[in-house]
Amino acid sequence: MSDAFKAADKIRISDTPEEREFELRAHIGAIWSGGRLFIGMYTFLLASLVFSYFYLRSSNNGILWRPNHVTAPTAYGWTIYTLTLLAASMAIFGQARLRRGNVSEWQAAIWVGVVAALFALFMQIWEFTAVPFYPGSSGYASTFIGYSVMNILTIFIVAYWLETTVARSHWLVKEFRGVEIQFSKHPSAQSFRANVASMTYFMGFVALSSTLLFAMFYLL
Amino acid sequence: MTTSVEAGVEAPKPPAFIDIKPRRGQNGWLSQHVGTAALGGFLGYILGHWLGNFIGSSYPYIANSGQNSLAVLLALLFMVVGWLLGIGALNHPIAKILGREAKGEVEYTGWTRYFRYNLDHKVVGIQYVVGVLIFFFTGGLLAMAIRTELLNPTVHVFSADTYIKIVSEHGTIMMMMASSVVVGPLGNYFVPLMIGSRRMAFPRIEAFSLWTFIAGYFVIFSALAYGGFPTGWTGYAPLQTQAGPGMVSYLFGFAVISVGMMTAGFNLAVTIINYRAPGMTWSRVPVFVWSIIATAALLTLASPVLTAAGLFGLLDKTAQTSFYVTEHGGSSYLWQNLFWFFGHPEVYIMALPGFGIVGEIIPVFTRKPLFAYRIAAAGMIGVALLSFFVWQHHLFQSGIDPDMRPLFMLTTELISIPTGFIFLVGMGTLYRAKIRYEVPMLFCMAVYFNFLIGGISGVFLSDVPVNVTVHGGFFVLSHFHYTIMGGLIFAFFGGLYFWLPKMTGRTMNKKLGLWHFWTMFGFFNLTFFPMFIIGLLGQPRRVFSYARNLQTLNEFSSIAAFFLGASFLIFVANLMWSQFIAPEKAPANPWDSLGLEWQTATPIPHYNFERIPVIMTDPYHYSEVGAPALADFGNGPPVHASSAVAAAIEPEQ
Amino acid sequence: MSSTNTNPSQEHHLRRIVVIWVALSVVCDLLYWIFIGPHVPPGRMTSTATANQFDFNVLMVIALPVMIGVWEWLAFAALMWNSKRADMPESVGGPAAAGNRRTEVSWIVVTTVVVLFLAVYGTIELYSGAGSGSGEGPNPILQPAGAMKAETAALSGSGSWAPYTNAVLPVQVIAQQWKFTYRYPTFGGFESPYLILPVNTEIAFNVTSLDVIHSFWAYQLEVKADANPLQNNVAFTKTGQLGTFEVRCSELCGIWHGAMFNKGKVLSESAFMAWATSTESKNAANTKLLPPFAWSYVPDANGAAGGFYPDGNVTPYSPVEIYGSKQPS
Repeated sequence: MSDAFKAADKIRISDTPEEREFELRAHIGAIWSGGRLFIGMYTFLLASLVFSYFYLRSSNNGILWRPNHVTAPTAYGWTIYTLTLLAASMAIFGQARLRRGNVSEWQAAIWVGVVAALFALFMQIWEFTAVPFYPGSSGYASTFIGYSVMNILTIFIVAYWLETTVARSHWLVKEFRGVEIQFSKHPSAQSFRANVASMTYFMGFVALSSTLLFAMFYLL
Repeated sequence: MTTSVEAGVEAPKPPAFIDIKPRRGQNGWLSQHVGTAALGGFLGYILGHWLGNFIGSSYPYIANSGQNSLAVLLALLFMVVGWLLGIGALNHPIAKILGREAKGEVEYTGWTRYFRYNLDHKVVGIQYVVGVLIFFFTGGLLAMAIRTELLNPTVHVFSADTYIKIVSEHGTIMMMMASSVVVGPLGNYFVPLMIGSRRMAFPRIEAFSLWTFIAGYFVIFSALAYGGFPTGWTGYAPLQTQAGPGMVSYLFGFAVISVGMMTAGFNLAVTIINYRAPGMTWSRVPVFVWSIIATAALLTLASPVLTAAGLFGLLDKTAQTSFYVTEHGGSSYLWQNLFWFFGHPEVYIMALPGFGIVGEIIPVFTRKPLFAYRIAAAGMIGVALLSFFVWQHHLFQSGIDPDMRPLFMLTTELISIPTGFIFLVGMGTLYRAKIRYEVPMLFCMAVYFNFLIGGISGVFLSDVPVNVTVHGGFFVLSHFHYTIMGGLIFAFFGGLYFWLPKMTGRTMNKKLGLWHFWTMFGFFNLTFFPMFIIGLLGQPRRVFSYARNLQTLNEFSSIAAFFLGASFLIFVANLMWSQFIAPEKAPANPWDSLGLEWQTATPIPHYNFERIPVIMTDPYHYSEVGAPALADFGNGPPVHASSAVAAAIEPEQ
Repeated sequence: MSSTNTNPSQEHHLRRIVVIWVALSVVCDLLYWIFIGPHVPPGRMTSTATANQFDFNVLMVIALPVMIGVWEWLAFAALMWNSKRADMPESVGGPAAAGNRRTEVSWIVVTTVVVLFLAVYGTIELYSGAGSGSGEGPNPILQPAGAMKAETAALSGSGSWAPYTNAVLPVQVIAQQWKFTYRYPTFGGFESPYLILPVNTEIAFNVTSLDVIHSFWAYQLEVKADANPLQNNVAFTKTGQLGTFEVRCSELCGIWHGAMFNKGKVLSESAFMAWATSTESKNAANTKLLPPFAWSYVPDANGAAGGFYPDGNVTPYSPVEIYGSKQPS
């Protein structure tokens, strides 16, 4: 099989400027729609948890949905929630600074967000040591453990996306040598900004979803 | 605002998506390939097993197994991570932490590229072909074992324990295979070609989906080493909670496969939305692409529910939560609801791509335009939407809220309207056409023949009173084999015969193909049609012994099944003969198709199209005098298109 | 459709197809209704079996013309519109062949009407058949007259059943790996390994499980209800013929799922009464040792979730407290 394909490999293509523009537009569009589709995907994942929560709550099998209204440690809950919200809002407010042209303020905001997310991640894992019930002792306890695992994933994605984007921005700033990446029409800069926009949109989703889940598991 | 700063920049490096000059990959043995992946998987397994036993040492071992669920889970988890590390799937995600961006796609050459983390969608497509065939033949061998056991109601070849393991593995492997069987190979290979794109939107995610899919094979197969699992592919909950460590393989295997499904669907959906060539409007998109985008939507949105369900099951097994344990505040219905909320869209994940293939092939051999193209697209989208609202028909007898049943009876029967569109499209295209009965066309006709039986029997199942008779028996078993195997698998093989000349440049032997088709079609019907009667006569699914009066029918079905299995040997022989032993060079467009994918050279150049084509019309203008040209392949996008592009690039400025 | 096709042998296809289709459909439907329909499983032993057999036949009578139509069309395609036929003209493309509004609209209308009819018909049959013998969960909305009263009385231990009174007979089906046991609450709550039923009587099956999910499928009685642990799944039917029937588990429940079946019998009302009273007195000593009759039973530490707590805690609650609220009021 290899011979036939080797011939094909030899073909080298040079792009026309129109094709470059087309590919760029498609690439930017892919980041845009990919970001939205990812939110849809993540919504279904979290919706499974929300469904489980309310399903077990309403069936209350063995009157063991939540005996004595056991609650996970709220101090941890508030800390994790606040930190997640901080990370998300840093991305959202940071983007406003980036749009105004201030890259370094955006970078500072995102790094704060990264640190907040990492700390939230640590707290979310550490919370397992402070949970005052057995995982299998009630329906609430089970869904809470499920929520913790999913929240670890969420915060990890938040931290990873923030960190990779801001790390990339440092390289870009260096490569562009003084040219402002927040305004440049260079493909790399456009791709970077599209990524920032998708990320910020996702952070808004995280802020909303973690508010809902926090209220469900710690306040309700 | 500074818009002209590029002038002063010292040539910044071109970003990944513009750097289309492929770089030569390292082909040495020390680079990453399937061997290092296996090594990584092996080391990961050992590390995970040790870690699981270390942190879970105070956990009770599962009775009679000498295994700790946590150790099994971590071993499998680390195995998958090690496998992905070894193949190189995680190189880029890790490099990104340091802010590195991809330097363009590494192009591997020679036969070894099929054993690497290759980003070319054409290579991934062929890797997927081999992957799904391995899945399919493994599951098929297990099916042969099932039919061997059912030859006799009282003389047992396997013990009851072994039999239930075989049944469960067969079901699970086949479901995993079927959810990727078209989307993986043909979807990845042909969607970019059909929409006139040079690439996928996210080639790394596309390759990631393939290697997770293969990792899923090892995970689900590891269940046998752990003593199997007794729940069948549906994994119902109290039995799941009761089962041994093999259950962990099942739950984790499905979770891994669902990640593969999500990523594959994600990449395809985004590609179809964004990378359609200029002029490829939604009304010109080939019907196969419509089926793939409908499937991709289901893959991305339904699979996360399976991931969550699997996660909860794994937590029940390892962290000892009680999601599915009714006695401890959980609910066994929770699993049924979550599983089938995924499971019914999954059924259409396994049907829609088949419709797409059929819609693509029939116009070629009838030399007629696809009848009612818009109805076909609407049917696929309609099926995809409705499939989220029918899941509780699997629970008609389970003791759910009885008020739900008329509602789900209605939605289930409504879904046969858009499914019927597919028949309208096919029948309308056949009307008064001069049909060439080549092998792919025969497979398409068989899809209509089989899917009709499968679909009509589905209406019986959706009717609650009749469902009492047919639920949980061989009737429903036969029903879904008619839809999935009779529909999707027939369409898949039709698609393979149709497109392999493009994929490999070698055409399949027609005589062997005809033998394959007629034996497969005949023995498929002889195997599964008696099962409708067996089911009506009262044989439940997944039993190893049955009423004596059903022996004749079961024997008949078993013997036909053996011949059905043998028919795939003809396919394998054909594949070997036509592709490797005595290859015959295929012309660039052997079926004389108008499809865009046939308009490139064979073998397909690395970047698919020398110039990005500008699409003028839909690809179904067969036998039309004065039909417009399909596309302009010459000079890239015309001026007016690119100026529109320039205006659209940064709308916010 | 296009009219450029002038070959005489290819003309009037549509008319020929319709004529053949109507003729074949009528013949097949009649043959089916007369010769096959009455013998379709599961027979006519109970009210639900009779009703559901009728439904099956109605669906079949609607399905047969559809299947015949598509198959006939495929056969035409294979035989008449084949490129191997010498008189076959070339295919004709163009907009006329790419769609036909009237055909499309009528296809959509016809399929929608058929589908909506089926849904409405199925719902009517489900309601008129008191649930059609399918499991309706702990609070059945569709039930024969007097069922609720009999069920409530049975639970409190005050239920009674006598022949020729048209009283509903509650029977509990207890599934476990891998057998069925039957409890008769109106006869002191004795347990029997065989399902014995009186003829011409409304039976209320109360299906529950002690471990995993099973499915109680009394084949000839046309009753199917999943047996869930800690849940009462109720199904109704009215026996109409004497004879034996089979009971099978139809939900995978573990290794010996295939061996989980036994036989039952429908007796005359007086014979059933004699059997029930004699078994009740014969088993009285054993019945005393059984847990008090309830809609479901909490599994012991060896059940499906047995030993699930790491500290070996067993259930910290009492069954009465829990299941009192779930019983039909």
